Amino acid sequence: MLIGTADVEALGRAAPTLLAFDTAPLALEGVETLLFFSEIERAGSDALVPPGLHPTLPPAVTWLVQRVPTSPWGPFRLAQCRIECRSGLRPRGFLRSGVIDNEKAAGALEAQWGFALGPGEVELSRGYDRVRATVDLEGRRVLELALSQPSPLAPGDIHFAASMHLAQTPRGLRLVQVDPDYQVTRAERGEPLLFEFDAEAWQSPGLCPSLPVAASFSIARMVLPALRFVCQPESLAFQGTEKLDA
Amino acid sequence: MKFGIFFELSVPRPFSAEREREVFENALEQARLADELGFATAWAVEHHFLEEYSHCSAPEIFLTAVAVQTRQIRVGHGAVVCVPEMNHPIRVAERAAFLDLLSGGRLEFGTARSSTWTEIGGFEADPNSTKMDWDEYVRVLPRMWMEESLAYEGECFSMPERSVLPKPLQKPHPPMWVTVTSPGTELDAADRGLGCLGVAAAGFAEQERRTREYHRRVKLCEPVGGVVNDRVATLNFLYCHEDLRLGAERGLSFLGQFGVLNAHLLFTREAFPTSAYQSLGNLAPAPPRAGAPSDGPRIPEGICIGDPRNIIEQAKRWESIGVDEVNFLLNAVEVLPQEQVLESLRLFAREVMPAFGSC
Repeated sequence: MLIGTADVEALGRAAPTLLAFDTAPLALEGVETLLFFSEIERAGSDALVPPGLHPTLPPAVTWLVQRVPTSPWGPFRLAQCRIECRSGLRPRGFLRSGVIDNEKAAGALEAQWGFALGPGEVELSRGYDRVRATVDLEGRRVLELALSQPSPLAPGDIHFAASMHLAQTPRGLRLVQVDPDYQVTRAERGEPLLFEFDAEAWQSPGLCPSLPVAASFSIARMVLPALRFVCQPESLAFQGTEKLDA
Repeated sequence: MKFGIFFELSVPRPFSAEREREVFENALEQARLADELGFATAWAVEHHFLEEYSHCSAPEIFLTAVAVQTRQIRVGHGAVVCVPEMNHPIRVAERAAFLDLLSGGRLEFGTARSSTWTEIGGFEADPNSTKMDWDEYVRVLPRMWMEESLAYEGECFSMPERSVLPKPLQKPHPPMWVTVTSPGTELDAADRGLGCLGVAAAGFAEQERRTREYHRRVKLCEPVGGVVNDRVATLNFLYCHEDLRLGAERGLSFLGQFGVLNAHLLFTREAFPTSAYQSLGNLAPAPPRAGAPSDGPRIPEGICIGDPRNIIEQAKRWESIGVDEVNFLLNAVEVLPQEQVLESLRLFAREVMPAFGSC
């Protein structure tokens, strides 16, 4: 089986800090999500996930661009770059990095769920025939993608894999399992169009998209969960999973 | 109740031509022994690009080798991917007829549509249309085998009038099956008069529900071919040893390895949101039976590993819920040495098969 080869020590130096494990679930209403799935070039892709995770074949990236209209920290827009993988037997997305436009939300998401986020401009706009997302860092475009010609899906047709966030935690450096619950009320799929991606800006050198596969748009009630499991980033999940209430 | 063997041809890393050949040779030796021991069918899957998990990309060639090296055992194309980007329907009909002739009329013909993005994306097929493709194939293939010549205008392919040659030995044509992974596909099989080739391990309760519904529906079917196949087969894992604990330990080792490789496949639904693929994954063995470690090995419900007594008990349950054939995976990525696999087969034939009158 394939196993990730990322340098955990190097990743750990830039990892966010999760202050405690007693995070309470948080429901966010009316969350709009553009989920974009693309295959990536295989060379070097194993180095994008830590040894505790298994890359997929073919290797793939997902971008989630979300607009959250209300939250305890005000509205915010969030973009994530994740590598598709497996933790043990489970489908997961390993968060390489994220961009957010609300400083308070950034602090809370980092402290309570271990999101690795930096400040930037995130746009998610929805038109009749296209949903478009852009991310800019200090005036420089680092992501631009779109869903073209949307057609309706059943609410249950979109698969949202749980995330693995590498974070400094009270137990040390760990992969934090974050599995939001999405109660989808509207879902669409369309042609995926990728115009711009700056791998370095997303802390993902070597990540090279090769085949956009699908883009979906959804509106959902998203519940950020209580934390249940963490994993040691250098051990496979079968050995390295720790239950948090144990 | 009949028993078969089922080949994925999984190959351990690091890959080499020698390693691939060793896996193929071991599988052929298992097929020869299974033939001698009275197993009913040797099935081989069709998969593409699935590193480690299955290198069985040309099953018709592997099954031809099985056919010429055996006398009685039936050869199961389990299953041909009925998607035009992968297999043109005329070529499918030709190859199947050829294999039926070469095997002396021993072909079981399975149909499928592929479940992983790795394969569907690799051939640039449209996940939204694979079910329609499959439906068209299973209706036109029997005509290619039964009609002297055929002109056809369809959705996924068309052809001017031609005689598709050769015709199979079995008349009107070999038994046809559908691989069943997603819940509900067994109903598609039943409605068309096709056998239900279960390739997703399921617990007794779920299988009983599906089998009962299948048998109810197949009686009302509108057959797509010249003959109805109303049999139900399930996938299982076999490791048989006189010592229950040793049998369980070795059996669970390869079952676990297979389960991990299966879980690591990239299923279509993960990459491409669609109603056409409802399942995320295709293998769901029942969880280990509850109990304390002192209660004995925790073999999942219905799985045929352990000692002969335990395996008979499990197989009897399958028989009691209406399953006609249990097909066994014998190894995965060569976790078990070949001699252990062969000895397990011999012991199964000696101690288990007589309990089912199938030797």
